[in-house]
Amino acid sequence: MRRMRGCLALALALLARQATAQTRTDERWPLDSGGSVRIMNPFGRVRVLGWDADSLAVSARLERRAGRFFAAGDVHVRKLGVDTAAGGAGADLEVHVPRGATVWVKAATANIDVEGVDGTLDLSSEGGSIRVLGTPQDVTAETMNGSVELAGGTARARVKTVSGDILLRGASQDLGATTLSGRIVVRAAGWQRGGTAVQRGKFESVTGDIRFDGEVGRGGVVELESQSGTIEVRVPASTVADFDLLTIGGRITNELADAQPKQRATGGQELRFSSGPAGSGAQITARSFKGPILLGPK
Amino acid sequence: MMCPHMEAKLNEHVDGAQAAPDRASLEAHLSGCAGCRAAIAELRSLSASAASLPRSIEPGRDLWPAIADRIRPRATWNVQWIKWRRALAAAAVFVVAFGIYRLVPPSAAHYRPVGQGWVAVQADVDRATEELSRIFVAERDRLRPETFALLERNLAVIDAAVAESRAALAGDPANAELHRLFSAAARQKVELLRWAARAAAS
Repeated sequence: MRRMRGCLALALALLARQATAQTRTDERWPLDSGGSVRIMNPFGRVRVLGWDADSLAVSARLERRAGRFFAAGDVHVRKLGVDTAAGGAGADLEVHVPRGATVWVKAATANIDVEGVDGTLDLSSEGGSIRVLGTPQDVTAETMNGSVELAGGTARARVKTVSGDILLRGASQDLGATTLSGRIVVRAAGWQRGGTAVQRGKFESVTGDIRFDGEVGRGGVVELESQSGTIEVRVPASTVADFDLLTIGGRITNELADAQPKQRATGGQELRFSSGPAGSGAQITARSFKGPILLGPK
Repeated sequence: MMCPHMEAKLNEHVDGAQAAPDRASLEAHLSGCAGCRAAIAELRSLSASAASLPRSIEPGRDLWPAIADRIRPRATWNVQWIKWRRALAAAAVFVVAFGIYRLVPPSAAHYRPVGQGWVAVQADVDRATEELSRIFVAERDRLRPETFALLERNLAVIDAAVAESRAALAGDPANAELHRLFSAAARQKVELLRWAARAAAS
């Protein structure tokens, strides 16, 4: 009897081990410094790290029902990922790419993290979060209900969510963010670093709040638009800009300057003023259907 | 993504409605701007696609019986039906996206004269988004339940926003800002439906 119990325990332990077993794959291929990488991993996590080597290395950990790891390509383009059925288990992919690579990642619920890549990023997840740290040249990030965070600085970024929050921080030149019900927060430290390129920000939401907190470059253009979310703009008191704020059904509060909003004949409030000679500085525009607009000092 | 201030110029360029000096300056810009070049290509393709579309689309109801008769013996009718619905979705997205693209004023122009075309375009947008919404509901099995629920919730949010803008427009039809906000909300809805279609396809 004791022996039978022992066998049963051993069998159960083996079964449990098999049930939780992971497959690990480590591969490395040569890749041009400006090569392209396409990564697909529906569930789990994708971590992409830039490095100073002309090669691509992947370390994949697949849960038992995660599916099958695949990879194909050459020195210019490589495609890799996990081929899994709906409802499959998660897989963790850690991919090292040349710093200047172009990286495309697609996921269902997997979270996507990218660090230290200077090339172009195109990242898309249905429900996972997206986080980018570094100074990529160009970022496109889309997720339905995951959050997006870009930190560092990009020449150009376009971010879109349905209900996920968006946080953009760092020194960027051209930023665009759209959400339906998520929140957009921009902390634009050193917004006009260099000051030679076009500086532009466009932030749109339907019900989500939008907060812009930072510096706007000379000649920079920042537009904020929301149907019913709160729009909050905080810039240094010394900012030279033309401000153009309008809400159809909300209220405008100006804590930055003495100018006060006027009632519009057709309803709503508007506030237009320049903090300096008109047309000589930046242009900040906010439009809201029924949400409040707050302008204040940073 | 094109440079936002170039939207009107690119449209004029594609329409062949641009003065020669402007054309030269635009071409100079295009030589150094991949985003605008891509936008031009997309606009041309849209124009070509839109031109080849029938003036009105009568999906499903009239054509479907004949198609169903022809494909019934085949085991793969389901695939055919999905393809048909996708083609309809793509056509509807084209119509809506093109309509809205034409409607939304360039970001620099806050005031745009409102013509009679506005009402017709609103009706077109309504018809097409309705069709897309039906397809979205029909494709629900291809989406994860939580994704479907999320999209449904947010469609309700955006429908409420569109309805508010529309009601405000009814009371103040000449208000350019309201037109702009309505267009933005309609564009968001199309984007969301397009996103849903993409998610279902993948």
